[in-house]
Amino acid sequence: MSNPLRDMEKPDAIFCIGTNMTEAHPVAAMRIKKALRRGAKLIVADPRKIPLAKKADVFLQLRVGTDVALLGAMAHVIVREGLVDENFIAKRTENFAALGEHLKEFTPEWAETITGVPAKDIEQAAIWYGEAANGAIFYTLGITEHICGVDNVQSLCNLVLLTGHIGREGTGINPMRGQNNVQGAGDCGALPNNYPGFQPVTDPANQAKFREAWGVEVDIEEGWTKVRALDECGKKIHAFLICGENTVVSDADRAHCEHALRSLDHMVVIDIFRTETADLADVILPATAWAETDGVFTNTERRPQRVRAAVPPPGVAKPDWWIIAQIAKRLGAPGFDYESPKEVFNELCELSPTYHGLDWDLVAEGRHHWPVPEKGHAGTPVLHIGEFPRGRGLFMTPSYRDPAETIDDDYPVWLTTGRRLAHYHTRTMTGRSVGTEYLVPEELVEVHPDDVADWGLEDGEFAVMSSRRGEVMVKVEATDKSPRGTVFCSFSFSEVPINALTGSGYDPITDTAELKVCPVRIERATTSV
Amino acid sequence: MSSDGSSNGSSNGSPTLTLDGKVVPFETGETLYEVARRHTSDVPTLCYDERLEAFGACRLCVVEIEGFRSPVASCTTHAAHGMNVQTKTEKLEKHRKTLMELVCSENPRGVEIDPMRGHASQEMTDLAQRYAVDGTRFEGAQSGQSHPDDPNPMILRDYDHCISCYRCVRVCAEQEGDYAISIANRGFQTQITTEFNGFLKGSECTFCGQCVQTCPTGALADNRALQHTREPGEVELTRSICPFCGVGCSVDIMSKGDKLVGVRPAMDGPANEGALCVKGQFGWEWVQHPERLKNPMVRKDGVLVEASWDEALDRAAEGFRRVRDTHGRHAIYGVASGRAPHESAFSVQKFIRAGFGTNQIDNCSRA
Amino acid sequence: MAHINPSGDQELIERWRDQPASLLPLLHAFHDRDGYLSDDALRAVASGLRIPIADLYGTVTFYHHFARVKGGKARPRVCDGPVCKLQGCDELIVGLDGATAMPCAGRCDGPIPVLQDDEVLIGTQPGALTAAPPLVPPPNPGGIDECVFAEVRDPRRKTLAGYRESGGYRALSRAVREMTPEQVLDVVSGSGLTGRGGASFPTALKWRAVREAGGGPKTVVCNADEGEPGCFQDRVLMDLDPHAILEGMTLAAFATGATRGFIYLRYEYPATQGVLETAIEEARAAELLGTSVLGTELTFDIHVRRGAGAYICGEETSLLNSLEGKHPFPRNRPPYPVTNGFEGTPTAVNNVETLASVPPIVDRGAEWYAGLGAGEHKGTKIISLSGDVARPGNYEVPIGIPLKTVLYDWAGGAPEGRTVQAVTMAGLSGGFLGAEDIEEATLDEPSMRARGSLLGAGGVMVFDDSRDMVEIARQAMSFFAHESCGKCFPCRIGTQRLTERLAGVAGPKEPELWKAEVEDIGRTMAAVSACGLGVAAPGITGSLMRLFPEQVDAHVNGQRK
Ligand SMILES: Cc1cc2nc3c(=O)[nH]c(=O)nc-3n(C[C@H](O)[C@H](O)[C@H](O)COP(=O)(O)O)c2cc1C
Ligand code: SF4
Ligand code: SF4
Ligand code: SF4
Repeated sequence: MSNPLRDMEKPDAIFCIGTNMTEAHPVAAMRIKKALRRGAKLIVADPRKIPLAKKADVFLQLRVGTDVALLGAMAHVIVREGLVDENFIAKRTENFAALGEHLKEFTPEWAETITGVPAKDIEQAAIWYGEAANGAIFYTLGITEHICGVDNVQSLCNLVLLTGHIGREGTGINPMRGQNNVQGAGDCGALPNNYPGFQPVTDPANQAKFREAWGVEVDIEEGWTKVRALDECGKKIHAFLICGENTVVSDADRAHCEHALRSLDHMVVIDIFRTETADLADVILPATAWAETDGVFTNTERRPQRVRAAVPPPGVAKPDWWIIAQIAKRLGAPGFDYESPKEVFNELCELSPTYHGLDWDLVAEGRHHWPVPEKGHAGTPVLHIGEFPRGRGLFMTPSYRDPAETIDDDYPVWLTTGRRLAHYHTRTMTGRSVGTEYLVPEELVEVHPDDVADWGLEDGEFAVMSSRRGEVMVKVEATDKSPRGTVFCSFSFSEVPINALTGSGYDPITDTAELKVCPVRIERATTSV
Repeated sequence: MSSDGSSNGSSNGSPTLTLDGKVVPFETGETLYEVARRHTSDVPTLCYDERLEAFGACRLCVVEIEGFRSPVASCTTHAAHGMNVQTKTEKLEKHRKTLMELVCSENPRGVEIDPMRGHASQEMTDLAQRYAVDGTRFEGAQSGQSHPDDPNPMILRDYDHCISCYRCVRVCAEQEGDYAISIANRGFQTQITTEFNGFLKGSECTFCGQCVQTCPTGALADNRALQHTREPGEVELTRSICPFCGVGCSVDIMSKGDKLVGVRPAMDGPANEGALCVKGQFGWEWVQHPERLKNPMVRKDGVLVEASWDEALDRAAEGFRRVRDTHGRHAIYGVASGRAPHESAFSVQKFIRAGFGTNQIDNCSRA
Repeated sequence: MAHINPSGDQELIERWRDQPASLLPLLHAFHDRDGYLSDDALRAVASGLRIPIADLYGTVTFYHHFARVKGGKARPRVCDGPVCKLQGCDELIVGLDGATAMPCAGRCDGPIPVLQDDEVLIGTQPGALTAAPPLVPPPNPGGIDECVFAEVRDPRRKTLAGYRESGGYRALSRAVREMTPEQVLDVVSGSGLTGRGGASFPTALKWRAVREAGGGPKTVVCNADEGEPGCFQDRVLMDLDPHAILEGMTLAAFATGATRGFIYLRYEYPATQGVLETAIEEARAAELLGTSVLGTELTFDIHVRRGAGAYICGEETSLLNSLEGKHPFPRNRPPYPVTNGFEGTPTAVNNVETLASVPPIVDRGAEWYAGLGAGEHKGTKIISLSGDVARPGNYEVPIGIPLKTVLYDWAGGAPEGRTVQAVTMAGLSGGFLGAEDIEEATLDEPSMRARGSLLGAGGVMVFDDSRDMVEIARQAMSFFAHESCGKCFPCRIGTQRLTERLAGVAGPKEPELWKAEVEDIGRTMAAVSACGLGVAAPGITGSLMRLFPEQVDAHVNGQRK
């Protein structure tokens, strides 16, 4: 996030797109509700009538996968209505002329034909966001889990650059990170292209730095993304170390995923439960869990905070860092003589420019937002004040593309996937807690009541949902949360392995799977399970 | 009739008032309660939660201001320059005792409130002790009506202990923004209710538990934690961060000995300021679930069987060595977790990069 | 249900959604249509007005008169106020099919009122209820000059034409054409007019504060909630002289700069709503209300909003919350309504009688009005007299006149063969006065306050020597307990505990301990309650113990008859 969470109470206009925030990031959503009580305008764009939509001043219920068209049209209106921040554009951006040209065809009327959102609502949203003294954008996977995820993000950046809603309190472009430490995993360099602190692996200076720090030869090329690696299993990839991820259930196209992992020569899983993925491993190593482990998480607002052990782990479970160090040492790798998580974290701080001013003790109370370039630095709650990392902000000109697969006679229904308030990811945790399980004991596919009738389904009865990749049985819930022609399901229940269906395509740049769009067919189940 | 009694600043810089005989400075906009709390005195209250708008229900925080006919509630009165305020006169203490006698008279007497019920659950008991009130004076009808029938396993609605301070209703509206609960009826018949007096599930309630944590009597209680009442030992709190989403709410983990017994929001958590959602508040029981992996396992003859650390680690290392030796360093791939702490992700990437000399590493952010 | 054309939910919502203070009228629309408020109706209203459903549910249960079961609205509600108790309301409740009690309904000068659907019947026997006539005040027994009652006995006064014939709207035309708002404020200030709703706050001071407050639109609210037991003067004014109130409000608007007006009318006066609405229609048609009052710049319109049964909604900040559709708890003050009133904007809340006094004052001058008072006191006040008195009714009296003059000379004192044991003042809020006080007191605030009492809204209920004063006190306290909003601890619990002690169902059995408890509770309630209700309620027990210690002792000792 470019701005801290507390800033969410401060904008005059809030634009939430592709984020079911009240369910996925509930405590952040609280702050938005406070802003609304203060009189802020809320614009919500989502294919589904999510809870936040009920609180919106304008709700843009767009067809799945048409964000580029919607956002382009908003930019079009902002330019047309003269709501651009000319000073900001002149001083801090480039390529505005090209954008202006590019946006000409993105009229709201055209966008209405693509997105299904009334042109006047698009105009209203654009005007509110454009006019606001402080406008802020929030998004999550609803923007990125598309073949055009990068285009979507660029389209949002265009809105920000046009209006100058960045680099100040109560503004910004704010992706909300899903998992507790997914931000931290990236910060730590668990990426094929970056060392810790987002230092590109292809930069010779960085290579030299790590060569020296670790006393080993380092690779000079980027690695592959996990998606690519799974494609290469049994071909060019033969061993996997998977740490705390239930890949088989959480990733797109389950059949493909399982097949890939089965074709490995060697697979080691470090986890706390025997997940569907662990079942495929050659070696399972039991890890300590939250409440049993000392360490650091970094949240979505770039705030590193300490987690602490309160109870002992079961059996002989050990912290991840210890387990990995043991394997490394057996392989003769140098630099794994850690005695404590503190040493590991301090090494990270040493090597990462964004954490350089931090250490184990300094993050004890979580007072900093990174980057913290040197000791004594107070942290950086708001990014992009005065300058962007690349200098000037660059307007990009993404064009609208259809999703990887579109509906047809065989698969006439759009399926979109997401999360539910009471559950988390693949339910390894929430499914084993009484309260959360009480709230949502089973998965249901949400279908508009009229579609339920039209398609011969029945509320509360099983249906068979199939895509080009697989099929699942799932109970139907009639609800007008879903628009007609679009259905929703979460991927949390292994009984309803929804990712057996997904996997129609991937963003060409990030390899992020298009989990938000998948054409399916739904029929009433003939036999129940 | 002045528009509001807020300060009008002294001629030279920050305004001051006299608090129990001492001249103290304050900031414009502060209430007398805030000023008093900052400067020593322990003005009692039951309806105050600093995150909420001052409400003025319990009247325990009344103070005397020179020139005012009656005491005023300090939580709803703005400090003004030159005020002469007394917080602890005999008269005030007598009113407070009477108020405590009144409020203790509406609840079952002599009941111990387990501190595991919630963060603020001891406030009422503590004040009753401070004013030496046992609930026997002013006997009469009881006001609360519990909802023992609500089948939700998270929030116990034990309204027999309710004192109608409305902190729960206000936290739900002002803090959580859900407006799931409200106030039914009036006067002594007042009850805390959901829409049509139904169960919490099916209402707008999201089970964030904030009502539980602000309740000063334990009338709303953490029913997961209460399952461990009989567990021996004292409750210990360990400050940590919620393990679920990227908001990173600060929590206090509650444990008794080796047993995890609950979670509580940290009121001073920077990301959450005392708030949690249902996952963070009630979704912790998986940690000590019997299905947790307790021992390493290795595949033998196609079957996963338990093994010692040495055996498992040897097997793990041996496999990587074999693959490296036969297929080269780029044939090994590491997937770090987006849930484990930094030390895990950092170790995985270092293992891959420094251990094999490849950048074949990713984390689960793409799913 | 007498409605021929039942409208659909959506129609009702459309009708009200964009109106000011829309929640109450929309709820009434459903209540009237269906004869109760069903769950579905509440859901429709909640989503139509975007109010959280739990809040709406809670708020609806706050009001006594919103029925939540089918057919509930039509069930008879019988007044069980202190005076109706004397007339045997308890038997009437038992005798009437499906009847329940309601707190004092403002007709203490006649037979027991029974509210059935939207009709008020009166009587004492189940089979013999008749329609309630408007009660015209008797000619002033003192023969003194009157202000608000001067013309009300003329039946034509109710219509715009009749009102104008007897001098109505003369003050307004003069004000808007020839005077500045400042001049109007000066006249009202010079007249010495203070609030007649209970608090006696100088009216001109309040108006000036609204005039000078920043922000807007500004609002004038006529407080017609008249919930105080034993008070019924506002109803008479509204029924007989509606235009006087409209004119008074318009003058207030002119003086304060307000553009919108509300009359918050208590539920128990259904016929009055029609009277007021007809008068407003007439006034609008004659350009006395609207965007250009009497062809001038002045813009002002008035909306009637019907309450739903809650005494506390007469308290001005609770009233504002009720208008706004919020839970009707009183607000913390400051800030006061004059700066932060309706929807947070500057608002003058004034009582019916206060507002009705304004046109004659502006018309005839400050000095004339000030001179109506007795001695150094200024102006007049209507006293609602009821109970054990020969000629109950409303009397407009010079402020400062001896209580005994009104009680004995004007109203004839206690019935044949009886003597006056006690009277209540300010309805119930002033507690009891005993024989000695009655001899000496004059009807003005200084005299009353010196006796620990209040003139307040002017209700005086008389109890003769046959009455059990502990029982009267119990009724009074149980009214306060019933009407306590429940916001603050001392009143919510205190009114309950005092009621229990007066009823003898709880509390010490030893007089000294009993009195110590009752005194402690009362002292704390009076000192620290959040609004006037809790402050005033213990006046009942305080004066009871002071005036009738033997009756109290007998009660505690279980020797009460
Ligand atoms: C419990 C309570 C009930 C009240 N009820 C009424 C009422 O029914 N009518 C009224 O005019 N004032 C009532 N008041 C007084 C109002 O709060 C307010 O002072 C009054 O409406 C102001 O108008 P005035 O200045 O013209 O008297 C009540 C006050 C309290 C504390
Ligand atoms: S349940 Fe607790 S927080 Fe809510 S009103 Fe009762 S005592 Fe207060
Ligand atoms: S309590 Fe809820 S919002 Fe906070 S970090 Fe945990 S899952 Fe996220
Ligand atoms: S004194 Fe009584 S009526 Fe007034 S706020 Fe307190 S509880 Fe409500």
